Amino acid sequence: MSRVSGRSALAALAAVLLAAPAAAQIRAPQAPSSRLPAAQTAVAPGPPQARAPGDTSRGRLLAPEMAGRSQAPVGSRVNDSLVKMIEGKIRCTCGCNLDVFTCRTTDFTCTTSPAMHRVVLARLDSGMTAPQVLAAFEKQYGEVVLMAPPRRGFNLAAYFMPFVGLLAGFVIVGLVIRGWFRVRPKAPLEGAAKAEPEAPAASDDDLKRLQQELEKFEA
Amino acid sequence: MTDLGNIALWIALLIGVYGSVVGFLAGRSGRAELALSAERSVYVVWGLLAIASAALMRALLAHDFTIEYVAAYTSRNLPVFYTWSAFYAGQKGSLLFWAIVLASFSAIAMLVNRGKNRELMPYVAVVLLVTITFFIAVMVFASNPFERLGFTPPDGRGLNPQLQNPGMVIHPPMLYLGYISIAVPFAFAIAALASGKLDTAWLAAIRRWTIMSWLFLSVGIVLGMWWAYVELGWGGYWAWDPVENASLMPWLAMTAFLHSVMIQEKRGMLKKWNIGLIIGAFLLSIFGTFLTRSGVISSVHSFAQSNVGWFFLIFLVLAGLSAFTLLSYRWPQLAAESTLESMVSREAAFLFNNLIFVVITFSVFWGTVFPVLSEWVRGTKVTVGPPFFNLVNIPLGLLLLLLTGIGPLVAWRKASTANLRRQFIWPVAGMVLTGAALALLRMSDAWAIVAYALAVFVTVTVAQEFVRGTAARHRQYHEAWPLAVVRLVGRNRRRYGGYVVHLGMVMLFVGFAGLAFKKEMEVTLKPGQTAEIRSPYGHVYRVTHQGVSQYEQLNRFVTAASLDVYRDGKYVGVMKSEKRQHMDSMGQPTFEPSTVVAIRSDVREDLYVVFAGSVQGTEEAVYRLTINPLVWWVWYGGLVLAIGGLISMWPTGRGPKIVARRRALEAGYVARVGA
Repeated sequence: MSRVSGRSALAALAAVLLAAPAAAQIRAPQAPSSRLPAAQTAVAPGPPQARAPGDTSRGRLLAPEMAGRSQAPVGSRVNDSLVKMIEGKIRCTCGCNLDVFTCRTTDFTCTTSPAMHRVVLARLDSGMTAPQVLAAFEKQYGEVVLMAPPRRGFNLAAYFMPFVGLLAGFVIVGLVIRGWFRVRPKAPLEGAAKAEPEAPAASDDDLKRLQQELEKFEA
Repeated sequence: MTDLGNIALWIALLIGVYGSVVGFLAGRSGRAELALSAERSVYVVWGLLAIASAALMRALLAHDFTIEYVAAYTSRNLPVFYTWSAFYAGQKGSLLFWAIVLASFSAIAMLVNRGKNRELMPYVAVVLLVTITFFIAVMVFASNPFERLGFTPPDGRGLNPQLQNPGMVIHPPMLYLGYISIAVPFAFAIAALASGKLDTAWLAAIRRWTIMSWLFLSVGIVLGMWWAYVELGWGGYWAWDPVENASLMPWLAMTAFLHSVMIQEKRGMLKKWNIGLIIGAFLLSIFGTFLTRSGVISSVHSFAQSNVGWFFLIFLVLAGLSAFTLLSYRWPQLAAESTLESMVSREAAFLFNNLIFVVITFSVFWGTVFPVLSEWVRGTKVTVGPPFFNLVNIPLGLLLLLLTGIGPLVAWRKASTANLRRQFIWPVAGMVLTGAALALLRMSDAWAIVAYALAVFVTVTVAQEFVRGTAARHRQYHEAWPLAVVRLVGRNRRRYGGYVVHLGMVMLFVGFAGLAFKKEMEVTLKPGQTAEIRSPYGHVYRVTHQGVSQYEQLNRFVTAASLDVYRDGKYVGVMKSEKRQHMDSMGQPTFEPSTVVAIRSDVREDLYVVFAGSVQGTEEAVYRLTINPLVWWVWYGGLVLAIGGLISMWPTGRGPKIVARRRALEAGYVARVGA
């Protein structure tokens, strides 16, 4: 706080001037902090005062250095879906593990992702298509810059292995089941013999009835 | 007190080693006094770890900055509420947290089984003590939470602001409880293998533990998603980060086990598979710990890089080798008691359900370790992020959702055509109608259409089960409908709790599919200026920037930007997003400013507002506005999931079904159908 306290008188004056036009509509402020200069606590917590319609005047923050990185106004192409799509496929090189779009729009503190965003725009402006932009990033930084491994060479293993696993699983389950059907024991297994006594003889009618009862029970 | 904590750790290490050796000897020799000594060692280790934990907690609360851990994770102005989080916020504290929780679970397991499972318990004590001792050894030799600094700093560094969130007070302990409690079923499985007592006793002993582990993991994962959504400010809740994946993998393995164990209980099949799943779940929980602590894979969630990763890798390899060696040794004794009678049966459906669970687990594992593999094989680093995981796991997840519906509809043993027709007609009709309706309404995302159609399919299956069961009670016992529902669930908690879990999963899938329709935009607004964003439902949100205010609050300096929000022209309220600059007790800024998002949520969609910052120190603000459809369904789906889990594990007051089945078998009145 000591950084701003030297300017407190000037800041207090500015705050009063800013707050005066709508002072009557200010919501109840929090109890002033003992550590903050008067100028800062003059700005009320919570939503600021309502403004007159059409009033778009912008006041200066009292402690801008406390408000995170200063932002530039949003450019016209920031919301372009093509730009977002490309940025969603490129990893920010700041070490955050996020894609460029997510990184630059999350805490808005990264300086790398906005720079990469500008490169994307510049490359699109130079006439590159989306695949060409991605290829240019890959050439510049290597495969690691892409959010998913490019589908070629060894990387194909990444994509195919889960489905190979699924296929292998189906084959294994199929073989196991076939084995069960083939090796169905005529006599109960040794271990099962103790636990599960021989079933009482049942006629076809009994079994049919039992099947029906079981189905009813299951339902 | 600090020295006492340190001494307690050393003594616990020695007692842990003693108990492990004695427990092993008790298991081999069958001597009751040795078994008793091993069990008592568990209680003593628990007591010693409780002393160590109390010592660390006291140091945290007393701001004893001579201790490196306390200075690194707390400060004088850290709210007491978050001092608790500091206990497990760092590597060293979390190791002690893990050890004390595991010791507590172990002591409970010993207490609950003190008159039971005598052949198993010595080995159970060995496995649990070895695991606890391992964690103590890591602390004592590599990462001691009581390590002192050579000086006393005037204040600590403080807790990372992103951890100063109520979600972080609950989410990590829940995940830890989930991870750690898997050790108990693992210990019983290993004890069954080691002792050769492979009947159903060990399954009965672990039933509640497995559901509890699964429940803690589920709640921990959903709370983690909620924390990421409300705190990190990127507008999503799951990023397929390696650490997120690390929590998902044991959950998938446990979920597979909870299904396949039913086949073992009812039919005496899949014994090897079930033991394999329990071993796999435990190893995956250790693997997750290795991932977060080794730094081998970069993650936003991981602890600082340190050498403890090697400890975990060695433990992982040794535990895996020992467990699978034991399993292979007992392989011939784990033969199935009966066989599959038809491919159209619940057993077969559960087999395929298990297959999909395991394949998803594998795909998550594969994607997580592929960067390391690529570097080893080709020397080239690659990134495996959300585009990969979504591509691979969405179809597998939908296949699983389909099986979630099919499983309960098919009869055990063998389903007849009449049974299938009766069971499937309404769910399939609901699914087809939903799919057709969404396609006619030109829903743009094919996967979402499939997801919603399957969601209806599963919902109808669950509703059908409840309606038929309730109607049967109503007819048979003339119970009023509400009473019939309560008794239906109360008399068969596991089955109907499971159905409630299925409903929770449906809700989660509905929420996940909603992300396909996410919309977002960035705007710069001067005070009084307005922006509009249209939601996928066609609602128009109009936001008017009110201005930016700054004030001090607790241990932070807040810059808050406010918006008046209107939906379809109707005023709905003010939304306030903040930048928080945390301060130390001397008023100096600590850490980077963090973002607090503003969220307006309803059952259809969330308006998610992030204040990016001010333009050149003025009240002109940059915002990111996001419409996230159906996120509400994720949080409430998680709640329903947890309720279902609780219903399933709630004591019935009767002996377990396994006992009933064994008695029935002994009495000789169980007939083999079709044998």
